[in-house]
Amino acid sequence: MNNRFSLRFGVMNRRSFLTTVAAGATVAALPTKLFAADKPTLVTSIRSLSNPYHAVWKAGAEAFASSIGLDHVTLVSEGNSEKGIADIKALLAKTGGNMVLNSDPNDTPDARPIVEACAKAGAYVVTQWNKPKDLHPQDFNPFYVSHIEFDGVASGKQIAEILFKSIGGSGGIIALGGQISNTAAIERKKGLEEALAANPNIKLLDFQVANWKSSEAYDLTGNLLTRFGDQVKGVWAANDDMGTGALEALRAEGLAGKVPVVGVDGIKAAVDAVRNGEFAATVTSDPFWQGGMGLSIAMQALQKKFDPTTQPADHREFYGKAVLIAKDNVEEYYKNNIESQPKVDWNDLWGRVTGPIRT
Amino acid sequence: MTADIDNLKIARSPERTSTILRAVRGLANRRAAPLFVLLALCVLITLANPSFIEPRNLVRIANSAAVPLTLAMGLTFIILLGSIDLSVEGSLSIAAMVVVLLATNDANTNHYGWLAVIAAIAASTVMGFASGLIQTLLRIPSFMATLGVWFIGLGISVYMLGGSAVRLMDPSIRDLALARFAGLPLGVWVALAAFALACTVQFYTRLGRHIVAVGGGEDLAELSGVNVRRVRILAFGLAGFFFGIAGVLSAAQLGRSDAVIADGRLFAAVTAVVVGGTALTGGEGGVINTLIGVLIVTILGNGMILLGVSPYVQQTVQGLMIIAAVALSLDRLRLQIVK
Repeated sequence: MNNRFSLRFGVMNRRSFLTTVAAGATVAALPTKLFAADKPTLVTSIRSLSNPYHAVWKAGAEAFASSIGLDHVTLVSEGNSEKGIADIKALLAKTGGNMVLNSDPNDTPDARPIVEACAKAGAYVVTQWNKPKDLHPQDFNPFYVSHIEFDGVASGKQIAEILFKSIGGSGGIIALGGQISNTAAIERKKGLEEALAANPNIKLLDFQVANWKSSEAYDLTGNLLTRFGDQVKGVWAANDDMGTGALEALRAEGLAGKVPVVGVDGIKAAVDAVRNGEFAATVTSDPFWQGGMGLSIAMQALQKKFDPTTQPADHREFYGKAVLIAKDNVEEYYKNNIESQPKVDWNDLWGRVTGPIRT
Repeated sequence: MTADIDNLKIARSPERTSTILRAVRGLANRRAAPLFVLLALCVLITLANPSFIEPRNLVRIANSAAVPLTLAMGLTFIILLGSIDLSVEGSLSIAAMVVVLLATNDANTNHYGWLAVIAAIAASTVMGFASGLIQTLLRIPSFMATLGVWFIGLGISVYMLGGSAVRLMDPSIRDLALARFAGLPLGVWVALAAFALACTVQFYTRLGRHIVAVGGGEDLAELSGVNVRRVRILAFGLAGFFFGIAGVLSAAQLGRSDAVIADGRLFAAVTAVVVGGTALTGGEGGVINTLIGVLIVTILGNGMILLGVSPYVQQTVQGLMIIAAVALSLDRLRLQIVK
């Protein structure tokens, strides 16, 4: 008993020693903020680099950074809000606030501390996709420049309509949704429902969630084919990862190309599938544009090329224009975006504004 | 003490009684509970929707069970040891990454064909051995060692794939999912072969017996002359081998690979092993239990779709099912401590 106690005591000692070392290291790291660079740093904060979407986002950010010759840093939160915010604060301290940030906050509530920290440090920030409804760029003039989203209802509706048309306007479809509680998933499903309401001859056989995952969509589609058999004339998927999973399940049954699939995101596998007729369409928010343009808008505000405070409301909180990739334009899209790096005019700040975000 | 003696008597008596009596005793045994659950599940789903027992659906169930079965075969040995292997997703994604990057694909010009498959399984096996070595040489608990290996694996495949999804275009590897032999996709035959291999290891090799012995009581096994360290390293290597096969199957099914191809597979595999009746404390259960566990989990998923259960309640049903299956299969009266 005595022996066991002393063993535990030893562990405690080691732990407190490690805590001391960690505290010391933190203090030692502090003075870095004295070495603030004279040129602004471009900072991208995204969830992860392990998905194609954010990988293209980073490529866009780097293309913009090299076009103006500034240093670019990518912060990855790995889905951890605490880490995402802490990394941004660390970089604000390191650069003394002389930076611009283009952030895809990991979660909706994260946007507030990120924006507050940037405004306090005097850094210019653009957020995309996630922010609380009551957080507005105007409240943090001039540092919170813009917030960009893409209208999920419009995307979900657009691909649904193309799917309905490609199966001849009548018949049954199955639908695969994203995570139940996710905003984009809810919006895209709403778009599907609107399209269904306008097309009474289309029957939604079943709506299931595959959590944005290809492998889950593969299994689900197989199961749904058992349940509905030949009634399934088309597959609506809330993103391309699930759409391609569904496509492989159809392929295993010899149905690829016969049962059209639609998705959202414009990943390469989906664009290829549109090219060979297995997908009817996909739409993309164009992450390359998002990655570069978010930085460009913030950078031009920092350079005083425009004054955020005098901009109209639909430049501060707006829906960007989603790009539709269907049979008629897929070859052109492939040539300009997949075979070569896309060319974007980074000075055309407001060219893709489609209107203010509905509240 | 008297209770123990009674147990020994019960354990010994079936040898002398008739086979019928033995079968009845076997069924009354708690260990057969997962099999009952499986049969009950099949009967209930069939009653509600007869298309469940259509051959086409059974083939689909077999197809979607292929990857989880192969994974769970590897994991079973680790859980039998009384350890846990969290590196499932990392190892699977490494194998899937290696196979797509070395076989014909749309990102580079490699065409190594089946050599890519061998390389993929080898890579994943090395990851398994690494887990074993880290654990035994550095004396780090399996939970932490394999957690580390998980992230190392995931990191390497994110780096190698550059975050994008790479398509697998080698037709002979894709045939694992698309071609059929005797009505079943080739991938299912591969999974069955993996099952046969796992059975062989568990019942006919010294390694298999030593794994159960170590799981049952590590100190006792060591005193009986079992080289515990070697058993651990080999078991983790073996698990890595199975994860490698699963990675290849998974890439072949989806026709592509990205770093997150294995998302959620760890949880599914652990669930299948535990639902099958293999105790997380080690030393009890085995690969046949796991086969039943995988079938329960897969059929439950398939059945809920067939019955049109709302996606909003499916997860809850799965959770209830896990608790029910474990409660039925474990003899909790003999567990002195529940952690």
